[in-house]
Amino acid sequence: MTGKLCKVLICVCISLAFLTAAASPALAGKKDDTLYFSWKKELESLDRYFNTAREGMIVSRQICDDLLYRDPDTLQYKPLLAKSYKWLDTTTMEFELRQGITFHNGEKFDADDVVYTINFVSNPDNKVLVQRNVNWIDRAEKLGPYKVKLYLKEPFPSALEYLAGNIPIYPNEYYAKVGPKGFGIKPIGTGPYKVVEHEVGKKIVFEKNKNYFKDSPKGQPSIGRLVQRTIPEDTTMAAELMTGGLDWIYQVPKDQADSLANVPNVQVLKAETMRVGWLVMDAAGRSGENPFQKVAVRKAVSHAIDREGISRNLVGGQSRVIHSHCFPTQFGCTDAVVKYDYNPVKAKELLAEAGYPNGFEIDLHGYRNRPYAEAMIGNLQAVGIKANLKYLKYSALREKVYGSKVTFNFTTWGSYGVNDISNITGRFYNFTEVDYARDEQVRDWLKEGDSIIDRNKRKAVYNKALNRIADEAYVLPLFTWVANYAFSKELDFKPYPDAVPRFFLSKWK
Amino acid sequence: MNTEISVPFKDISFPTPRQMTLRQARRHKGFLLGSSVLLLIIIMALLAPLLAPHDPYDQNLSKRLTPPVWHAKGTWDHPLGTDNLGRDYLSRLMYGARISLIIGVAAMLISGVIGTTMGVLAGFFGGRVDMVVNAMITTRLALPIMLVALAVVALVGGSLQIVVLVLGLMIWNRFALVMRASTQQLRSMDYVSAAKAAGCSTPRIILTEVMPNIMNNLIVVATLEITRAILIEASLSFLGMGVQPPLPSWGLMVAEAKGFMLFSPWMIAIPGAAIFILVLSINLLGDGIRDITAPEGRS
Amino acid sequence: MLVYTGKRIVLALLVAVTVSFISFMILNLSGDPAIALAGADATPEEIKFVREKYGLDRPILVQYIEWAGRAIQGNFGESPYFNQPVKDIIGDRIGVTLILGLCAFLFAVCLAIPLGVIAAIRPNTWIDRTALTISVFGQAMPNFFFGLILIIVFGVILRWLPISGGESWRHFIMPAIALGYYGSPALMRLTRTGMMEVLASDYIRTARSKGLRPGPVLFKHALRNAIIPVVSLAFVLFGYMLGGAFVIEYVFAVNGVGFLAVRSIERADLPVVQAIILLLSFIYVTMTLLSDILNAYLDPRIRVK
Repeated sequence: MTGKLCKVLICVCISLAFLTAAASPALAGKKDDTLYFSWKKELESLDRYFNTAREGMIVSRQICDDLLYRDPDTLQYKPLLAKSYKWLDTTTMEFELRQGITFHNGEKFDADDVVYTINFVSNPDNKVLVQRNVNWIDRAEKLGPYKVKLYLKEPFPSALEYLAGNIPIYPNEYYAKVGPKGFGIKPIGTGPYKVVEHEVGKKIVFEKNKNYFKDSPKGQPSIGRLVQRTIPEDTTMAAELMTGGLDWIYQVPKDQADSLANVPNVQVLKAETMRVGWLVMDAAGRSGENPFQKVAVRKAVSHAIDREGISRNLVGGQSRVIHSHCFPTQFGCTDAVVKYDYNPVKAKELLAEAGYPNGFEIDLHGYRNRPYAEAMIGNLQAVGIKANLKYLKYSALREKVYGSKVTFNFTTWGSYGVNDISNITGRFYNFTEVDYARDEQVRDWLKEGDSIIDRNKRKAVYNKALNRIADEAYVLPLFTWVANYAFSKELDFKPYPDAVPRFFLSKWK
Repeated sequence: MNTEISVPFKDISFPTPRQMTLRQARRHKGFLLGSSVLLLIIIMALLAPLLAPHDPYDQNLSKRLTPPVWHAKGTWDHPLGTDNLGRDYLSRLMYGARISLIIGVAAMLISGVIGTTMGVLAGFFGGRVDMVVNAMITTRLALPIMLVALAVVALVGGSLQIVVLVLGLMIWNRFALVMRASTQQLRSMDYVSAAKAAGCSTPRIILTEVMPNIMNNLIVVATLEITRAILIEASLSFLGMGVQPPLPSWGLMVAEAKGFMLFSPWMIAIPGAAIFILVLSINLLGDGIRDITAPEGRS
Repeated sequence: MLVYTGKRIVLALLVAVTVSFISFMILNLSGDPAIALAGADATPEEIKFVREKYGLDRPILVQYIEWAGRAIQGNFGESPYFNQPVKDIIGDRIGVTLILGLCAFLFAVCLAIPLGVIAAIRPNTWIDRTALTISVFGQAMPNFFFGLILIIVFGVILRWLPISGGESWRHFIMPAIALGYYGSPALMRLTRTGMMEVLASDYIRTARSKGLRPGPVLFKHALRNAIIPVVSLAFVLFGYMLGGAFVIEYVFAVNGVGFLAVRSIERADLPVVQAIILLLSFIYVTMTLLSDILNAYLDPRIRVK
């Protein structure tokens, strides 16, 4: 009796476990005209002005339009919500707007929306998170139902760049009613996709905007629905992609991308992005007396790190070593500076010369791309510098950086996809909390460059600053980052260097 | 029956308690297996500098992700292959045994001192002391330790010392509970009463009469807590908030290998299995000690 | 019984208050909440402004009392990250965690109790040894590692189950197994021990000698008595499962409270972390309370003590 009972019990347990598992998972993709994709970030708000994440930019570009559009292929600025634009002088611009465009909620687009949006975001009291995007604007003024004048605070050469992608235009009546909070949950734009479902931080569902204006330089959206889910683990994402649960993932680690390339239904693309990394050495001595106050030590570190090897083996793809503190295609960036080759012997000599024949011990802080940091620690160890990795979450690290507690820092910057040097170099040498060089000369040159309109003069002054940074080896610029995309072979997708996927340009094959 | 009778009285040797225990131990399969595997791991950890074929920190980016020797592309130069920075996996595993054991033992020692002190005091004195200790144990149990540990390590920054300290301050509850119960039992024993009557000071009674008699329980709890510390550290490292690289803790090795799980499964399988075997052997050892010292029945 | 229950409730409340105090201190002393609140790229002036605005420059004890006062009314403040009330954010996600916890709990019970019973009936047979092996494995296997193995085997190779998310009941199968397996050894051991003790007791031997059939003896008499301590352990275990779910939620991208906790820790979103710690300890305290009361109800000896 008990023997039978045992068997029955076991059978029940086993069959329960497996019966539930019999059916096969539903497949995503082309069949139901829905693109399933995922990222790691729990996006806190869909209001572009009140998030700082790349993911926020991705959402904004699908659902909203800016006054201008930078064609990602030709890099030319084209009018988007504007019909045309012109500079009246160095601090005023005039925009003629398109007519007949409606927002997703049916609200009509006109000059009021543009004036409201620009005046709202440029007002510091409204505390837009990325002030750099808007703090060059003085105000906007309505000249007619479809005519707007924009006043700048001072000459700002990269204004077009910001107007083409970082200043989406919102519907004034709706935004005034719901505010940033309501807009962050249910955003309304004029863009090629509209948000139809949103669980904050978990899921966003986009639907094709069938009324998207016909002659938009962004083109017409093709895929019916986009569904975003938050998944924190690379491995989980890759497994979902392989089994058809997802159609598109990005920021895939290099080795996983290499392996995914061999999976039959998956295609992998590796594209360089605007993100660059560098090592900050506390030359100003903000964190107390330290070896990096000697330029020979900073140069020794520069010679000790095998940037080429890390870039080739760990980053892979189109990643390249950089020698000045900016992304190579950014306006004002130059590679014509002192180059420190990988030379451990020389590094040791420099260390000895600086009074550290046996090296020294130091904490290296970092917040992302741990394997790169580990590889650099290996390089440093080889010349006698014993670096201990202190890996922190971004916010915790920022706290330490601001508090002058970080002597040696591995950090990165993506420039918000802005193809102009003003969004990178200037931010790190302006004597604020992130500036561990504190060089007045560099600060003044960069500030001057940010306000000159003449392109050649601008370049020349940036050139001087970048050269001084390199000569003094305040930081060691490392290499460019690569975004690895992996997606279903049924999908036609093209990546761009600003690493903002444009789903409105994608279609099923 | 006959033979027993014919044996002369003086030849019957009564085994001493120690001999009894040893005899028990020799027959207990779990104990034997557990202790011999653990011994191997400890030897490996102690002799890592002699045994390891390479420097565990020596990176070679051109040789990264070499598969282990049983794989078609493996070589004997790296019997267990290399990791994503081209460091020898076998050497890292050997040195990693040190880190994982240090974390387990150190956290156990800290929590053991805290928990045993609290438990013995509560059990010995009873009354108010007992109430306070009891409240502390309940509070500690109600605190979700993994979350608190995660938060502290994230906010303060991870390092071997921090992880050991946080774990040590968190996992003393079982020590306190078991020691309290054992001491309560002992308090009413004759020899304790006798010592009290003889005028021995309280600390002396606790140290010389109580402690030796709760040692067995103490050891069993200690083995449990070592494994708990090792497993929690592995989870912390998995979430990126444990000890910091390049220290080769096994938890960290699992964490670093998780990105390679789908396509180079051996990378995660090796340290994962190592943690599993270490924890298993310590658990078997602990179960064995319990069975041997309390031979009435396996429970 | 009423007095006993009352005493236990007071004790439980005291514990909850102490836990909230300790966790508040730990979190606020480990990092600077003002910097987290001020958000990305905040200048020192802005951080100072935030510190004053939220009263973070006052003594920590005052801050705690204020926080606790609001928490009692169900107001846990606002998450600086989501800009939403903490209550809403957690409310959004607690359902998923409860479902996962419940599924895992059921799995643990379905696995542990039958095996424990069988192992007790047939000690030292292959079934007993299998049960023992399962429990020993469960104790030694890191649960995230087990979860990853499940993903590879059932998600990628066999493709039986969806890998991540929480959209349908099928999404919960793997995480529930991974989480439940971890909790089953303790239940199984307790069932086995309890069952063995009861089976060896006089009344069962009497029942058997009277010629009662083994089935009824087993279920009507033995299991009923052996199950009492198991039930009270099960309550506590359920609380543990909710608290220990976050690694599993993270691996399977189940968007519950545990997942939220890990991500909130990563971005130093202290109000959320604080509320989750309190919530989990509250659940644990409640579960312990229920188990104590149930125990007292089932076993009169405890009440009297």
